[in-house]
Amino acid sequence: MSGGAVLQARSSASLPGRNPLLIVIAVLGLLLPGLLDNPYYINLATNATITLIVALSLNLVVGYSGQFALCHAAFYGIGAYVPALLATRWNVSPWLGLVVGLAFTTAITTIVSIPVVRLRGYFLSVATLAFGYFVEIFVRQTTEITGGAYGVNNLPILVLFGQPLRGLAYYFFAAFTLCLIAVLLTNMMRSGVGRAIVAMRDSPGAAAASGIHVTQMRVLAFVIAADIAAVAGWLQAFLDLSINPQMLSPELTFVWLFMVLIGGLGHPVGVVLGTLLLTLGPNFIGAASFDRALVVAVLMIIVALFAPQGIGGLFDYILVRGRERLHLGGTA
Amino acid sequence: MTAVSLAQVLIAGLQAGGIYALMALSYYVILSATGILNFAQGEWMMLAAVFGVVLIDLGVPYPLAVLLSIVAATAVALTAERLVIRPMQARHASHGMLLLVLFAVLIVVRHTTAHSFGPQDHALPGPLPEGALILGNSLFILPQTFVVYAALAVVFLLTWWFMRHTWAGRSLRVAAIDPIGAQLIGIDLGRVRLLAFGIGGLIAALTGWLYGPLFAASFSMGNAPGIKGFIALIIGGIGSPLGALVGGLGLGILELATARYASSLWSEAVSFLLLIVVLLVRPNGLVGTAEGRS
Repeated sequence: MSGGAVLQARSSASLPGRNPLLIVIAVLGLLLPGLLDNPYYINLATNATITLIVALSLNLVVGYSGQFALCHAAFYGIGAYVPALLATRWNVSPWLGLVVGLAFTTAITTIVSIPVVRLRGYFLSVATLAFGYFVEIFVRQTTEITGGAYGVNNLPILVLFGQPLRGLAYYFFAAFTLCLIAVLLTNMMRSGVGRAIVAMRDSPGAAAASGIHVTQMRVLAFVIAADIAAVAGWLQAFLDLSINPQMLSPELTFVWLFMVLIGGLGHPVGVVLGTLLLTLGPNFIGAASFDRALVVAVLMIIVALFAPQGIGGLFDYILVRGRERLHLGGTA
Repeated sequence: MTAVSLAQVLIAGLQAGGIYALMALSYYVILSATGILNFAQGEWMMLAAVFGVVLIDLGVPYPLAVLLSIVAATAVALTAERLVIRPMQARHASHGMLLLVLFAVLIVVRHTTAHSFGPQDHALPGPLPEGALILGNSLFILPQTFVVYAALAVVFLLTWWFMRHTWAGRSLRVAAIDPIGAQLIGIDLGRVRLLAFGIGGLIAALTGWLYGPLFAASFSMGNAPGIKGFIALIIGGIGSPLGALVGGLGLGILELATARYASSLWSEAVSFLLLIVVLLVRPNGLVGTAEGRS
C-alpha cells in the first residue's frame, strides 16, 4: 500500500540525522545571542529557547507517538509551580525543587496517562483537554496554596556554582539545557525505544505483533514529554521570577501545537524553524499591538490547507529537488 | 436544604443544562454525519448574538433581526465547512489535525469579532418581557428560562424526528457509518456534510438568542457553552440525541447543585472531572450504545 510507504518515508526522514552542517548551524545560532548587548533581545532569545524545549517535547508526544494530547501546559505549569512554591514558601533550593517537581510530574503523568492512552482519536484529545482545564481551575481556586489568579512573585534567582544566573548567563544555561535535551531526544529516537514509539504510531497492530507493549510505550512517551515540558516550565519560572495560572492554560497548549504543526509534525528541523519564526517573527516586524494568537491561527489554517507537512515538508522538498538537480548536473 | 432552594437549583440547573443540551445537539448532528467534533460550534452561537445586537442597533425589527442573524451565522458555518473542513477531509487529515484546525478557526472568528465588535458586553433582548416571576414566597423564574425550556423541547424533538425518520437524516447517519456504501446507494457525501454543518450551525445560532438575553452578547460568550456542549454530549453518549439531552441537563443540574451545596469555586471544575471519570468508566456515555464509537 502506498500509504505505508509514505509513512515509512516520513518516519525515516523525520529521524534527526547527525548532519554535521545542521549541528554547526545550530551551535552558531545558539551562540549568536551572546553578541547581543540589549537585555530585551537576550530575554527574547531566552524565551524562544524555552519554547523550543516545549516544542521538542510536544513533537515527541504528538509527532512521534501520534497522540494529540491537549494538556501539555498543565505539565509545564506543574513544573513551574512545584519548585516555585517550594522556594517561596519553604525556602527549598530551586535545584532540589526541580527534582521534586520532576518527580511530581512523573507521578501525575503516569497516573493520568495509563487510562488515557487507551482512548482513541477525539476521546484522548478531549480527556486530556479536560485534564488541562481541571488543573488550571484547581490552581486558580486553591488561592491559599498557589496564589490563585495572581500567582506568586519574588522567586529567588537561580544560583549555579556560586554565580547568580541572569541575563546572558541565564540564556546560555537555557541554551545548554536545550542542547542536552535535543541530544538525549535524538539518541532516544534512534534507540530501540524511539523506533518502537514511531512503529507504534504508524501501525499499532504490527508493533504489538512484533512484541512492543503498545500501552507501555505510549505512557513512556507521554511521561518523557511531560518531564521535558516541566523542565521548560521550571526554566520559565526562574527566568520571569514569577508564576501565574496563564502558564497552565490549555490555550497555551494550542498555540504551541500550532507552532509544531506549522513547523512540520515529527520533523525536528521544521519544528525548530516554525517555533523560531512564530516566537521571534512578530518582534522583528515590530508590532507590539500584534494579535499573536490570531496570526498563528491564520498561519495554522493556511499550512493545514496548502502545506500539510509544514515548513519541514517544504524544507525536505527543496533539499530533494536540490539533490536531484546536482545529480542531473553530474550525469549530463 | 429547603424545598425552595432545591427547586431554585433545579430551575437554574435546567436552564443552564438546556443551553448545554442545545449545544450538545448541534455537536451531535455534525459528529454523527461527518465524524467531526467541531470545536468552533460555540462561535456560531456567539456570531448570531453579536449580529443580533448589530441589527437591532440598526433598527431592524426584532423577528427579522433574529432571522437574519441566524441565517448569517449559519452561512459562516457553511463557509467554514466548504473552505476549510472539506479540503482537509478530502485529504484524509487525521482527527488530531482537524481538531486543531477547527480550534484555529475558533480563534480566528473570536479574535476577528473582538477586533471589529469591541471587547465590551452588549445587552441582547429576549422575546418576552424581562421582569422575573416570583412563585410562592421566594422562587424566582425569568421568562427567558421558559423560552430556553420550550426551545430545547422543540429542537430536541425535531432533531430526533429528523435523524430517525426522514430520508435526509438517515442518510446523514449512513454517511458516517459507511461512507462508501452510502455513495453506492446514491447519497452525495458533499451535500450530506453541508446539510449537517448547516443544521448544526442553525441550532448553535438559535442558542445564541437563548443564551444572549440571559447574560450578554460579547465576543467571548461562545467559550463556556462551546466547551460544556461537547462535554455534555460525551458524558451523555455521542450515539443519540438522547445522550445530548441527558448529558446537558445532567451537567447543568450538577453544576448548579455544586455551586449551591458545595462551593461555587468547584462548580467550574466539576464538569471536567465528570468528563474524565465518564471517559474512563463508561466511554460510550451514560445512555450510549456502541454505535457512536469509531
